[in-house]
Formats: sequence, C-alpha cells, structure tokens
Amino acid sequence: MKPRILLALFIIPLGLIIAAVPQNKTKPYKLTAVEMLSEANTRTQFVTPETVADMIVNKDPLLQLIDVRSQEEFEKFNLPGSINIPLTDLLSDQYTDILNQDVKMNVFYSNATINANEAWMITRQLGYTNNYVLEGGLNYWFDAILNPKAPASTSSDEEFAKYDFRKGAGQALGGGAAVQTEKMQVSDAAKPVIKAAARKKKASGGC
Amino acid sequence: MGPLAINEIISENTNLFLAFIIGIAFGFVLESSGFSSSRKLAGVFYGYDTVVLKVFFTGAITCMLGLLFFSLFGWIDLNLVYINPTYLTSAIVGGIIMGAGFIIGGFCPGTSFCGAAIGKIDGIVFVVGLFLGVLIFGLGYNLWDGLYMAKNLGSPKISESLGMSDGLFALILIIVALAMFTVGEWAEKKFPREVY
Repeated sequence: MKPRILLALFIIPLGLIIAAVPQNKTKPYKLTAVEMLSEANTRTQFVTPETVADMIVNKDPLLQLIDVRSQEEFEKFNLPGSINIPLTDLLSDQYTDILNQDVKMNVFYSNATINANEAWMITRQLGYTNNYVLEGGLNYWFDAILNPKAPASTSSDEEFAKYDFRKGAGQALGGGAAVQTEKMQVSDAAKPVIKAAARKKKASGGC
Repeated sequence: MGPLAINEIISENTNLFLAFIIGIAFGFVLESSGFSSSRKLAGVFYGYDTVVLKVFFTGAITCMLGLLFFSLFGWIDLNLVYINPTYLTSAIVGGIIMGAGFIIGGFCPGTSFCGAAIGKIDGIVFVVGLFLGVLIFGLGYNLWDGLYMAKNLGSPKISESLGMSDGLFALILIIVALAMFTVGEWAEKKFPREVY
C-alpha cells in the first residue's frame, strides 16, 4: 500500500473524530472555591500604600493602577498614572489584555477595599495572576500618604521612619503634609519591599 | 497539566534542555532526509521534488491533531499556548521577502543551519545573509517600525474567523493536505529531473 494511502487511512478517521467531538472549553486552572478561600485568607493580594507610593514616585513602569470606581468618581480624583475600569465593565473584552498579562503589576483601588477586592477575586477566579489590591483603598491612602499623622514621641524609630517616608511621598504626590518635624534618622525599614509580580509566561515557539 | 513549563511541572531550565534535545533530533532528521540540499527545497517551486511540502504539512497536521486530542483529554490548556500575534502588513511583506529568499537561496532558516552544519558553502552564505538581514532590520528599525506594527489583528485563529470549530477546521485541513500531496506527486511525475 502506498504510504500516502496509509497516512490517509490513519489520519482522516482522527480528523473525523476531532471534528465530531465538542471542543474542550473547560479551563482546568481556574481556582476551586477552597483554593480561592485559602488564597483570600492569606491576604497576599494586598499592596500597602507605601509600596504603591514608592512605585509612583519612582515612576516604576511595572505599576499599573486601576481605579474600579465609576467614571465620575475617577474624573473627580484619581491616583497618578491610573486607568479607570469600572467594576461593572470588568469583564468587558477590551480590558482582558490589561487584566490578563504577565508584565505589569495591576493594583486595583476603590474608596475602601470592597470593590477592589471584588475585582481581584473575579480576575483571580479567571486564573489571572498579576492583580493586587491597594490596602485600605483611597480612604486609607488619604490618611496614610496625603495627611500622615506624626507618631507619638514614645514611638519606635521604625514608626518615625515610616512617618517620614509617608510625609515625603505625600509631598511628592501633592498632599498637604508639609509640616516640619524634628529630624529623625531614616532607616531602610521604611523602604517598602517591592514584591515582584508573579510571572507567567506563555510557551513560545517557531520554525 | 500542560504546558509543562508554564504550569511549573518542569523547570525553565529543563524546558530549555528538552528544546535542545528536540532541536538536535529535528536537525538530524532534516539532514538525514536530505533537507540540507538547497536543490531539494527549490524543487517544491519547480515541481520536481515536493518532499519538503509533504514533510512540513505532515508535521503540521500531526502537531495539530496532537494538540487537539491532548486538549480533548485535558492534558493541555490551549489557552496557555502562545500564538504569534498577527500584524497583517508585516506578515504579507515578510512573507514575500521570505518566499523570495526561499526560492533564491533554496533554504529556509532551519535548513540553512542544517546545511551550514555539514559544511555546505551555500548554507554558510545563507546563514551569513540571514544575520545581515537581522542586522539591517535592527539598525533600520525606525524606518519601518510603522509598517512592522501596522494592522495588529491580535491572535486570531482561522477556525474562529471562519466561525467553525477547531476540529472541523482540522478535518478540512487534513483533506486539503492530502489533496496537495496528490498534486505534489503528480507534479513530480510531470516535471522529473534525473540528477539534482
């Protein structure tokens, strides 16, 4: 028998089978409810305002702030460099490329954390990995970064260092905290550790 | 389960090592099938030898069926398999340049390295030309980046554009490929060359 006939006899039935069966559209890497719960409990999705402020001030290209509030609220106030994806439009196709990517670190924020957390949970359920939530939301951002309160004089050096960092960041980001305090030694403890976003590459190939 | 490296079943380094082994096997098969001869490749365009067409299409069909069945069995998540994004303009322009190079040089990038590896001078010249092309492209990038990045269609699949399932498209492609093989063998009889 000619090899081509043999090939045809073998490969056409396979083609017929694959054409006849329904496509496997399940995504096996979505999280189960149990996994989701445990991940939510670890609270690793939260990024502190200090980390975000540091990244904004240093113009870190990896940071992508995403405002999940409505467009009106976004236009009234937003963090520098942020984009607006209202929670209601989260699943719109136009945002898939932003939410499901492996380069930038997306940080959701809303007034508090509820809406941002909802956005994070939904995207996490879809299997996206690079999304985080601004801890405390904008309310806490105002308190911590834009109007930081001086710690009590009995506080530890670390508290003062944190306060100095917040004050500096607040000034850089247009806050009102320009009150001079006594000079304190700024230790490295105030420098927030920037967590590298988990990378998930796609397999590439070619001829 | 799959892709193995992405789901961290094997490490990135193991992945590269496997690619290295597969690459050597690929090169060995290319060379032992005579693909390191530019005459063999040029034969596709003149009709006297269509082995290249048959081999690469058989490879593509095997791979396609393999991926579809693996996906069916839940062994691989096709959403995680990288699809090169389509930039329509550069795909057409690049296709013309590559096709012309294919006919003139008688090599595709892979086979040229195969030829160069066994010391074929035309293969070595082709590889040098390949790197010259890379250099010219890189140095002159500002001149053609508009053209290069034009008309990004994302990563469309032909089956999606035609509104059919992947499986049905696979079946059609298999039939088309088998028909092409028949035409190829007819051409080999029609335009024979004794020595090449």
